[in-house]
Amino acid sequence: MAVITIAREPGALGEEVAARVAGSLGFLLVDTSTLARFWREMDLDDASLEAADEAQVGGRDRIDSESETSVKLLPDLIAQLAEEQDLVVVGRGGQGLFRDRPGTLHVRIIASRSFRVRQVQLQTGLSAREARRQVSEEEKRRSRYVRRLYRLNWEDPSLYDLTLRMDRLSVEQALNVILRTVQLMDLLQVPKRLIVENLLPESDEGRGGGRFANETEREFARFLEFYRIPYLYEPRTFPLETDEDGNVLEAFTPDFYLTEQDLYIELTTMKQSLVTRKNRKVRKLRRLYPEINIRIFYQKDFYNLLAKYGLLKEN
Amino acid sequence: MCGLLDQHIIEVLIPEDAIARRVAALGKEISAAYGTSPPLLVGLLKGSALFMADLVRQMHIPLEMDFMAVASYANREQRQSSGAVRITKDLDHVVEGRDILVVEGIVDTGMTVGYLLRNLKARKPRSIRLCTFLDKPARRILKIPIAFRGFEIPDRFVVGYGLDFGQLYRNLPYIGVLSGDVTGLQGGKKMLEGQKSS
Repeated sequence: MAVITIAREPGALGEEVAARVAGSLGFLLVDTSTLARFWREMDLDDASLEAADEAQVGGRDRIDSESETSVKLLPDLIAQLAEEQDLVVVGRGGQGLFRDRPGTLHVRIIASRSFRVRQVQLQTGLSAREARRQVSEEEKRRSRYVRRLYRLNWEDPSLYDLTLRMDRLSVEQALNVILRTVQLMDLLQVPKRLIVENLLPESDEGRGGGRFANETEREFARFLEFYRIPYLYEPRTFPLETDEDGNVLEAFTPDFYLTEQDLYIELTTMKQSLVTRKNRKVRKLRRLYPEINIRIFYQKDFYNLLAKYGLLKEN
Repeated sequence: MCGLLDQHIIEVLIPEDAIARRVAALGKEISAAYGTSPPLLVGLLKGSALFMADLVRQMHIPLEMDFMAVASYANREQRQSSGAVRITKDLDHVVEGRDILVVEGIVDTGMTVGYLLRNLKARKPRSIRLCTFLDKPARRILKIPIAFRGFEIPDRFVVGYGLDFGQLYRNLPYIGVLSGDVTGLQGGKKMLEGQKSS
């Protein structure tokens, strides 16, 4: 699906422009309030969402494991939403998350400092001095967020397809420039196949030489190897949906295949409440490939496995 | 349930009297299945020790007993040096041509008993069957054929009647559910270092 990311300097009217773009195109606006709504639907509270943001921008060297989990879940959530519907993503490192994704337009909204301070004053009633301080702090916070999550400098112009300077544009004009760009880039016409291919698992080389995507998979592989259970890692991708020409629109690659058991295992360390989309894929896989045996190994299963061997307390 | 031993037991899942009744019934069932041919009961140490002791006293047929032990995945040092499961105590009996009954305390993932069954099958017994006191199917990874089972239990962390956590609690006379404060499962929030969501 199409995605428009909006990075905005504080006070540059980026939120207003993003809302108008989403409204005009009928895209879902992914801003703080939308994320909070989805967060609550997944049985997570607002405090953990704030903790996730705080963990990223708080300047702490170490992030505790719970916040780290939440931090990783935010991009996961936004990426999953982008698989299902057209989005306008406000901030949240969208330019990093969807950096080279086909069907994506990265917009940056900027303005002179004096313009932005004035806007903040108008919106908040703060004094010029207080508004300047708020702008500075917010700039640092956003810069840290993108640097920490994606190791990118958010001021790098090469991250953006379009930069709009709001000193010289009205919100209406900015909206029209973006709509025209969407049209010229054929953003709504990008084949879903290209986007899906971009989402397929990285090759071994893409993981910097590491064989497994994360420590959970590595530990599970060690566990299988310990008990001499033959397995293959990500041996097969199952197409779940194809278009008329046979191009794959949706696919699923289970993590492990136990050859002697003829069993696929998909590991997920997401919280139970966050795996509904993965469950949906597995249900679809079972419907399309009834001969396939697959089991999802949830976070609680993995914890139980570690606990059984007394390994959970060590961490 | 208020002593030093069971202060972290949050629930008695199977009380002592229920265990005794079930083991007696299992003893009769297994005795009938083997008839006049004396089986070799192979207990998997240490989890089956108490069950094995009670079970054989409820089996009124000739039988022989032996024990095996395998290295646990829990031992990280062993895991790093050898890298694979190995037998730490082998059988004293030759099993070729014998009727083997493997006696296990609990089957959950099936990894340990699966390895043991493969190992014993390679020794060409006449028959090999598995008896487990507890069966926790929710955790199963390997398909394990279970001929005799004491109880099928839900997905809870249990100890007692030979089953341990960190080598403790084996001497509880009942099957109890251990507190998450002890296992580290409380809240389910701890993760491996460097672990990411996937």
